[in-house]
Formats: sequence, C-alpha cells, structure tokens
Amino acid sequence: MFSVKPPKPTFKSYLPPVQTEMKKMPQVNIKKLEARLLPGEIVVSEVNFVRKCIGMGAGRDDLWGKLICTNFKVSFVTHELPGWQKLQYHNRLLGDHDVPLACVEQLVTVNDATGKQKVLLSNRKLKFSPTELVIYCKDFRIHRFRFDESGPESARKVCLAIAHYSQPADPQLLFGFEYAGKQYHGPSDQMSGGDPGSQLQTPLFDCSSDWDREIKRTGASEWRVCSVNEAYTVSPSLPEYFVVPVSLADQDIRQFSCSFAGQRIPLWCWNHPNGSALVRMASIRNVAHQWMLEQRVCSSVTRSHPKRSDVFQSNLDKSLPSIQDVQASLIKLKQICVIAEPYRESEDKWLSSIESSGWLENEDRDLSCVVSSLVQLMLDPHFRTLVGFQSLVQKEWVMAGHRFLDRCNHLRKSSKEESPLFLLFLDCVWQLMNQFPAAFEFTEIYLAVLCDSMWIPVFSTFLFNCPQQRAEHSQDFARNRNLFMGEEKMLRFPPVWDWSQQFSLRDQALFNNPIYVGKSAAPRVQNGAVKTFKRTKKSYSSTLRGMPSMQNSTGRYGSLPRHNSLVLRFRPESPVQHKAPENALDHFIKDWLSRPADPHGLLLPHLLPSHLQLWRLYFLRWVPELQIPQGGPVTTFYKLSLLADEIEELQIKLRQYSGSPTSGHTPNRPTLSSQQQRMYFRAARPSCNPQQPEYLSSAFPFSPVGNLSHPGALGTPLRKFLSGAKLWLSSEPLVSQTP
Amino acid sequence: MEEVPRVPGETVKAVAKDVMYLCPFTGAVSGTLTVTDYKLYFKSLERDPPFVLDVNLGVISRVETISMQIGENNRGIEIVCKDMRNPRFAYKEEQSKLEIFETLTKHAFPLSNNLPLFAFLYKETFPEDGWKVYDPVAEYKRQGLPNESWTISKINSNFEVCDTYPAMLVVPTSIKDEELRKVASFRAKHRIPVLSWIHPESQATIVRCSQPLVGPSDRRCKEDERYLQTILDANAQSHKLTIFDARQSSVADTNKAKDGGYESESFYPNVELNFLEIPNIHVMRESLRKLREVVYPSIDEAHWLSGVDSTHWLEYIRLLLAGAVRVADKLECGKTSVVVHCSDGWDRTAQLTSLAMLMLDSYYRTLRGFQVLLEKEWISFGHRFAARLGHGDENHANSERSPLFVQFVDCVWQMTRQFPSAFEFNELFLITILDHLYSCLFGTFLYNSEQEREVHSKTVSLWSYVNNHTEDFTNPFYVNYENHVIYPVASLRHLELWVSYYVRWNPRMRPQMPVHQNLKELLVLRTELQKKVEELQRDVASSRSVSSSSDHGPSPSHTSTPLYTTV
Repeated sequence: MFSVKPPKPTFKSYLPPVQTEMKKMPQVNIKKLEARLLPGEIVVSEVNFVRKCIGMGAGRDDLWGKLICTNFKVSFVTHELPGWQKLQYHNRLLGDHDVPLACVEQLVTVNDATGKQKVLLSNRKLKFSPTELVIYCKDFRIHRFRFDESGPESARKVCLAIAHYSQPADPQLLFGFEYAGKQYHGPSDQMSGGDPGSQLQTPLFDCSSDWDREIKRTGASEWRVCSVNEAYTVSPSLPEYFVVPVSLADQDIRQFSCSFAGQRIPLWCWNHPNGSALVRMASIRNVAHQWMLEQRVCSSVTRSHPKRSDVFQSNLDKSLPSIQDVQASLIKLKQICVIAEPYRESEDKWLSSIESSGWLENEDRDLSCVVSSLVQLMLDPHFRTLVGFQSLVQKEWVMAGHRFLDRCNHLRKSSKEESPLFLLFLDCVWQLMNQFPAAFEFTEIYLAVLCDSMWIPVFSTFLFNCPQQRAEHSQDFARNRNLFMGEEKMLRFPPVWDWSQQFSLRDQALFNNPIYVGKSAAPRVQNGAVKTFKRTKKSYSSTLRGMPSMQNSTGRYGSLPRHNSLVLRFRPESPVQHKAPENALDHFIKDWLSRPADPHGLLLPHLLPSHLQLWRLYFLRWVPELQIPQGGPVTTFYKLSLLADEIEELQIKLRQYSGSPTSGHTPNRPTLSSQQQRMYFRAARPSCNPQQPEYLSSAFPFSPVGNLSHPGALGTPLRKFLSGAKLWLSSEPLVSQTP
Repeated sequence: MEEVPRVPGETVKAVAKDVMYLCPFTGAVSGTLTVTDYKLYFKSLERDPPFVLDVNLGVISRVETISMQIGENNRGIEIVCKDMRNPRFAYKEEQSKLEIFETLTKHAFPLSNNLPLFAFLYKETFPEDGWKVYDPVAEYKRQGLPNESWTISKINSNFEVCDTYPAMLVVPTSIKDEELRKVASFRAKHRIPVLSWIHPESQATIVRCSQPLVGPSDRRCKEDERYLQTILDANAQSHKLTIFDARQSSVADTNKAKDGGYESESFYPNVELNFLEIPNIHVMRESLRKLREVVYPSIDEAHWLSGVDSTHWLEYIRLLLAGAVRVADKLECGKTSVVVHCSDGWDRTAQLTSLAMLMLDSYYRTLRGFQVLLEKEWISFGHRFAARLGHGDENHANSERSPLFVQFVDCVWQMTRQFPSAFEFNELFLITILDHLYSCLFGTFLYNSEQEREVHSKTVSLWSYVNNHTEDFTNPFYVNYENHVIYPVASLRHLELWVSYYVRWNPRMRPQMPVHQNLKELLVLRTELQKKVEELQRDVASSRSVSSSSDHGPSPSHTSTPLYTTV
C-alpha cells in the first residue's frame, strides 16, 4: 500500500525491461518544441530528447519529445502523431500527453546502470542521474519517460522540479490561484478556453435565489431560505445561505448551532412531492443537550411535513464503511484491478429504508454527501438531467462543505484524510446508469471526465473544503498580490460546470446520452419558469401503513408521479425492530422489480452483487492490453447516436415543414442550432456509407487505439500477453515490501 | 378440466391434483400437476395471475425422493435439471400421486424405458426445412474450395475411414487415398487431419484432427509426417506449421504412455507444438456442478464473487477464449497454418476451431452462418452430443457427460458482450439453442455423429423453428464488420458470469431496462417521423408543382442509416 504508509525507497520495477531495439531518435528539432502555457503558467524546468514509452510495443510506438515541468503540469511535447496514436478528443487545458501536477500520485526515478531506484519526495536529494522517470497518477495512469539521449543534469533537474511542484505546501500555491488571478491584471485579459457567450445554466447555490428556486421546484412550502450564516458568522463550513423549517427562527438556529459538530445545524436537501423532506445534519457534540435538541429540531421538521409525520433518522456512522475503509478499498482495487470491489457493494444496502424526512447523521461532510445525493438521484428525475446533476453536486457536495481539498490530498499533508468519496459517488451513479441506461441525460464518459477534473486544480468546484475557505484564501491571495477584486468576495475560479473551459462544443457532445428522452411529467426548469411537482390528492391521502393491497396498486401504477406516492405509504415506522413491515418492504421491492422500470420514476437499483459491475471504462481505460479494439459498449453508443441524430434531423425537417416549433414526440428535446449538435456521432449524409470508425475501442475516447491494433503490431504484444508474459498493469503494487 | 397447452404430437400421460410445488423464490403453492410425453406442467390458481411451472422432460437429469413433512404432504420429490434448477414437489401419499411420479420418471428417461425420444413424436411443420441450412459443398465453395491445394474427398462417404467424421472431407490434393488410410491408422479414432477453414487471402488453414498414436515407444508414421508437411506447403506465406494441442502437457504425456501422444518436433521438422493447458471434460463438468450450487436456488450475496471464483468456470472460459485467440492470431497475423487437436478431437478441438472461426470469419457471426458453424464443426464432425448430454438416459452419473457445448456457447456470449454490434443474433438465440440442446424436441443435437444421425426425415431441425422466428433472434445493434477479425480480450477483467442464463430462474436477477428495447423504440420513432416528413414533402411538392419548381433536397428516406432490424 502506498499512500497510507510513507513510501519506502525499495521500489521494484514490474515494468518489462526496455528492449534494446529501440526506435531511433527522429531527425527533428526537438529543441524547437514548446509547451502550450495557460495564463499564469510558467516553465520551471525542461529537458530535451526524452522518450515516452507507449504500451509494450517493444519501443516501436515510443514517442520522442521534450519533457517540461511548469507550475501547473508535467508536459510532454512531441511532433505530429500517426493516426492510431491520436486521441479523439482534446482537453483545452492540457495537451494529450500532459499530466497536471495535482494528478501525480508518486514519482519513481531509476538508473539502469547502477540499478538504483528512488521514490522522489519534495525537497529531497537525488544523488544519481536518472535514466528513467515513472509517474504514477491518481487517475490510475502510469507514464514512463526515458532519458537515454538527454542531458543527465537537466533530466535530474526536471525530476526534482516535478517532485517539488507536485507537492505544494500551501493551497495558494495550487495553480488555480495564478490562473484565476490573471484575469484581474489587464482589462482584456481573458482566460484561455471558454467559448464566448457560453452561459452557465447550473445553479451554484451561492445565493439565496438559487435556493428559492429549488424550494419552489420541489414544492417545499414549509421551508425557507435563511441568511443567518452570511459572512460565515454561524458556521465556517456551511454555505452562506441554506434552507430550514419555516418554524425555526434565525435566533433558534444561532442558539442550536453550537451543539452540533462544526456548528452544522440540520440542512434541508430536498422535498418529495408528498411533502416529506430529506435533511442532513452532523452529530450532536453535547450529549447532555441531545434529547432536548432532537426534540426541538425534529419537531420543527415534523411541523414542516404536511401530514406532521414523525422523523425517521438514519445514522450513517453505523451502517456505512468509514472513509478510511473506502480509501483502503480503492488502493486494493488499484493494485489488483480485478472484479472484486468490496466497497461498492456494501454501499447501498441501507437504501430500502430511506423514507419520509430522513435524518442523516455523521460528520455530515463525507458520507452524507454520497447518501443524500444518491437518494435524490433515485427519487427525482430532474437530477438525472445534465444541469440537474450538476446542481445536485453543487448543492450536496460543494456548498455542503465536502472537503475536496483534503479528500483529494492536493497538499500531500495527510494521507489519512485522503479518500475517494467523490469517485465512490460517481461509481454509484454509474451503477445506476448501468441498470437504467435511458434514465440519465448524460453518459459514462461525462462521469469519467468529471472525475478526472478533480485533478485539474483550477476549478472552484474541487479546490476547497468549503465556501468559506475559498473566500478566505481569495482575499488573502488578492491582498498579497495587490489584486483589485472590486465588489467581489472571491476570485473568479471557473466552476467545472463551465465545460467550455476544457472541451470544444463538439467534444462536449460526448456527454449526451442518445437514448435519453426528457419527459414532460418530470419537473424541470424551462425558459426560466419554474414548474413544480403536482401535489396529487393521492399522495396526501395515502396514510396507509404497511403492505399496499395488490389490487389497489395496479391502479396506482397508471400515471406519474405514481411511484413517489407509493414510497410514502411504505414508510416503515421502524423497519429493523418489527418483522412484519420488513417483509412488507421486501414484498414491495420484489413487486417493484418485477415491473418494467420507468426512467422518469423512482429508480430502485438491483443491489445483488451480480448486478453491480466494475466500471470498466474508468478503471481499465489506460491499460492497452485490456482494450477491446472495435468493441466495448461504445459500439452500441455509436449506433444509438446515429439513430438519435437522424431522429433529430427528421424533427427539424418536420418543424420546417409544419412551421411549428414543437413536435409531439419528444417535447423536451432542446432545439439546437446547427453548430451545436447533440450527438457526437452523426448520421451519414446521403450517399455516404456509414462505417463504424476504426478508432472505436472499449477505452474510447480516453486512449488512442494505440499499439494493439494498427497493422503489423497486433501480433507481438498480444502473443506476448497470451503466452504468459507478466502482464504489466497499472495496478501493480508500486512499492513492494521486500522481506 | 382445463387442458394444458401442448405442441403438435404431445399427449397427456397423467394428471394429479393437490400437488405442492415448493418454489424457492415465492414459497409453496398447491395446484395441479400434468405430465405429458414432452413436459411436466404445474399450474396453481392460488395466485393471481395463476402460477405456472413448465419444465420439459429432456432437461431432467435425475428424479429423487426426499423426506418431507408439510401438513398432509408427507412425500417429497426433487427434480434435478441440466439447466441449473432443481424444482421440488411435496404430495400426500396416494395412489394417483405415486403414479404420476412414476409416469414422470418413465417419460423423463425414455431410452431407459424403451420409449422413443419426443423428437420422433413431434409433429410441427415449418415453412423452411432447417436440415437444408448446412450444405457442406456450398459451405466449402464459399470458402473458395476446392482449390489447387485442397480437394473435397469422398473417401469417407460410407464412413469407412472414420465413423465419427462426416462423409465429405477436405484434404490436400496431393495425398492419395492409400496414404490417407495409413494416416487414419496413426490417429486416434481414425480422425485424420482435415481442413476446417481457409484464410481467403493468405491461404493459411485451420486443420483439425485427433492425437497421433505415438505411444511410449515413439512410433512414427511417414505418411502422417508427409501429410503435415503437405499442409504446411499448401500455404506459401509461412515456413512453419503450428500445432495447438488443447490439453495440459502433463495429460498429453500420460496419454503418450497409453498409446496416444503428440507430435515430436524432431520428427516433424517445421512444426511448432504448443499446449493450451485446457483441462478435460471431467474438470468442466465438476466446475459447472459447483456453479450450480453458487447460483441456485439462493445466492450468497456477501460471497458472490468469491463463490463464482471458486468454481473456476470463468477461468476455463478464459483459457478457451485465449486459446482460440492464439489460433486466430496465428492465422491472421502470422499467416501460418494451424493444426488443432486434443485427445479424440471432438470436444476441446471443436470448441477451439469454432471459436477461432467466429473471430476470423464474419459470416459465422450472422444468424445463418452460426447455424452452419454448429452443423459443421460440432454436429458433422462428431461432437458426442448424445453421450455428453445423456438424452433420455437415467444414468445421470455417467462420466461421459460434460457441458462442453454450454461452455462454448458461453464463450460466444462473452464475445457478444465485448462486441455488441458484431453479431447478427442476440442473447435469446443463444439461450434458445441451449434450451433445445436438452429439450429433445428437435433432432439437431440428438446424436453422436453424422453416421448415427439418420434423423433428418423423422425429426424437425431446430433451425426450422429458428428461421421461422428470425425477428426474435436478431440483434438490433448489428453492423456488418465485414472482413474484420475480432479479438476478444481474454482477461478475467472483461469476462463476466452469464447471469441471464445461469441465474435466470431467480426472479430477482432480471435486468430492469434492456438497452435494445430503447433502440427498438427509437427505430419506431424514426419510422413514424420519416412517414410524416414524407407526407409533408408530398404535400409541399404537390402545392409547389402548381406554383413553382422544387428546390428541395433529397428525400429523407435516403438519409437513413441501414439498420438490420425490422420494426
């Protein structure tokens, strides 16, 4: 295990020895190559004539170029590549061979001649000239660079620079500050990337109007936005604006807050159309006050319920693994990369008992985020749209104070704090997506790209532990640099949701799920107007407890939002103590699963281990030997995209003919201008033979088809692999504990 | 009294009321049990909708009495099936009940009771005759055979040379019949090396046979050595011939001591011998038996993955796929001819050649091409279906039984998972094949060899049924990969348990939203829209033709992507 214990310098290379028949260095002027720099980015150190090793192709596919360390990334620049080594999408902030420093997990330098190997840490010495540098990344990737032809001194310097800059001592040394600070220097100085006029539709929940809209959208009329925490006077880790029961006065909040861990008083997350609310809170610090507090707080939550239903509490500390467990599990997965993935399975078990005004207790900044956002994803189809999902992450993670800075361990302060909770959440979303492929507007590529963005330290979304920290560091940084921020409280770090920062519109089309069709019954914000859930009489009248009679239920399955009302009737008073309601719940779930799922209703995932799978795109995408050339789920995605695109074309045509802006079939498909097509893969125009593109593989779009399938290369590595050569996996233990 | 649904030719043999079915998923339920000469049919009106259990008798492996006491029901019976389920019944000790289970046992094992298999009683007719799907001459012609190096030989037309081979064989042109007979006497069960498939460009071939009878004294056979040299020479692109021996090398040595063996590289100068280290039929049978315990009736959720792991089933699937990839890669990239054998050349050899052919030749990935592949590599080349499956035979412990064909179909399914749009057929097709592997409704999988199988006139072919329902079995994602060779990744990281086959009896295991349903909906939507657009265009065109000339683009019907689905 590496990041749990400090790595020992007993590195043993599992990489195959470099072949002697290495590719000759091309006669091109590598010295003329230059790194592409972002605003605020500077070159720290560089070395020429570096060879980047690609796959196991015996050096055949290796690339020659220049290795550069900047204050943002490790950049490898090279000349134009042949087609099979090209990526099909490009990140505007990073070149195809670049690694952000924040993504570096461990650095190992090797000297072939002396056999020396050393794990590089910040501010340590390197006594030998490295012939090779191996960079192990947090996204499971491994980069190998050879310095056989480079100047030994500059190679050593680059290695040390990478080690130093990838382990910043202070948050303000994270590149995002330079990047965001740059825009205050000149009037016309624009951030690189970003399309003019791209407007952010995702609410950030940093103002009371965003919360107001969410209250209206969910019909939570007994709840209000409270601004008692403006300037973070009540709790440093809560947002400035949050939502509380109408019956709770600002004065009460101030008074109660001291009794909760981190002054985190209960936060409203979401309202079910039947009036039940989802609330999260921290544990109560002062045990003596516990009873009184629970009475006061619970009763105000109860008063906000239309039926005055009692509160159901769920203690996550008891039912879920600790964040250390989650991290240990990921390390294991990294090492073995096999099908066993214990952490995922234990995750969702509690779900069947989430009902009514759920109370979720614990530190409230880690597992509460996972749980509350998953509950909302399953219950509310709005959160399965792209904008809805982004607002969910913003609301339940960023604003609720998930410690992204600590959990990502950007500062390498304490590996105890590091835990991949956000990845865990995205994996859970992927499991849902895998079981309900038509229920989500976005794709698994989107989820993977979102996860990768955590390691690009420029986005407000992932840089901080809470909004207050962002404000504090912004002001501090601005003071030190004499930046004039005007009325603004914080530096304008771009949120990750401004995808044009990273990708062209065409590449962003990879986020769109071709089989998702919006549904008018689902609540959503359209043209600025807010539609709310319809509160049907049905959901109010459903006061039955226990088992629903089967005769009735068939009638209730008729129309939306039928599913939601059923859940209320099922609220178990205490599912664990009594046997009967538990059986009723089992029955309900069985009955539920036997019916065809509605992508716009409640999603109840199968939790059987046989239905939970490895997220192969994410975990296996960098291993060339595990790529399926011409195969993988992307081939169905391709086919569906063509069809969806064709349907869109037909709809546009239909509108042109009929002159009416709406079409009866898919009312919520947005009308797009011709430059912004929804599908990445377009249907063939007449006279064009639709051939599946050669570059598709199970790792699309993250790895080029690479050395495994271009003509002539297939034989060697494949045979080597099959005849039992030790498979080099990115999951190999990095530092072996030699006895 | 309500009649049970029957297929043509099926007759009811016994009926008993008040039998209790002990459903492992939904609990005990009482109802009426009917036994026909084709199936057992249990129906209970206690539930709404009525509960029905329909098990064809062919799938039954053994029937056992078990001790039982549920109310009045003091007798119990467990029916162990070849398709991973074990239904249990409880009943009161009464004459009618005792009789019905006696009838059940009798008709479940017709061959042990001097009765015909149901396939000979089945009277359904279909528009197409499935027996005509495979015509060896047409199939060899499709491959470009005969050519100057290879000929279609009639030497085995009376099954005289090899009684487990088909009548028609492709052998090197230059080999005389006399030599062939000599080679036959040097090969186990006289299964001589014959061509299965030829590469359209390189002329490299897949050749199959049984082990050479080398024995402990290292016997040689000049004709056999020359024969393999001729196969090598028929391919101008390579100076090597690769032999893949599917067995574990230790087992091959054991066989050598018992008069079998393998080709010695010193006697066959340009030959490279590789062992694929695949265990034998007994190991595979044991593995599937363990898998049954893991998946039925209930699954241990906490130890699911390790449970599946402990059966080694996926590990064997990986070995087979990896072996087949090596064969295919040798041909495609190495341009080298390959000889595949195991001991007798009818189990692992059939698995490997047919899998490699699926990877190499897109024809076999079509609905009809796959039927041809099975008829050719499995049925005509004498995979011992009768012995491996034990149709109608009560001796369930017979060590000849082994699920090798199931294992092969599982490998095909794994390939369809990795290449969702490379196969014209769907999962239902594969499951249907496996269901009728046991059902004894069709004549297709009943016999051990082509010679034994003179069943054409008396039974119906499974392909008659399949080709009458092609819509049900078509994969809507299919795009023709044409000449693409597909290499599945033979790594456990990409293999998964075929839950919708092995665990299908558990109602909790059903997938919720199959993606092909979405595709079908989109196809319907597209058709509707196309119709509307065309109508409008017609309207516009007719109004324009009155006023002015048309300047509109091409008709939208031309823009559609060819999709191989009928809607």
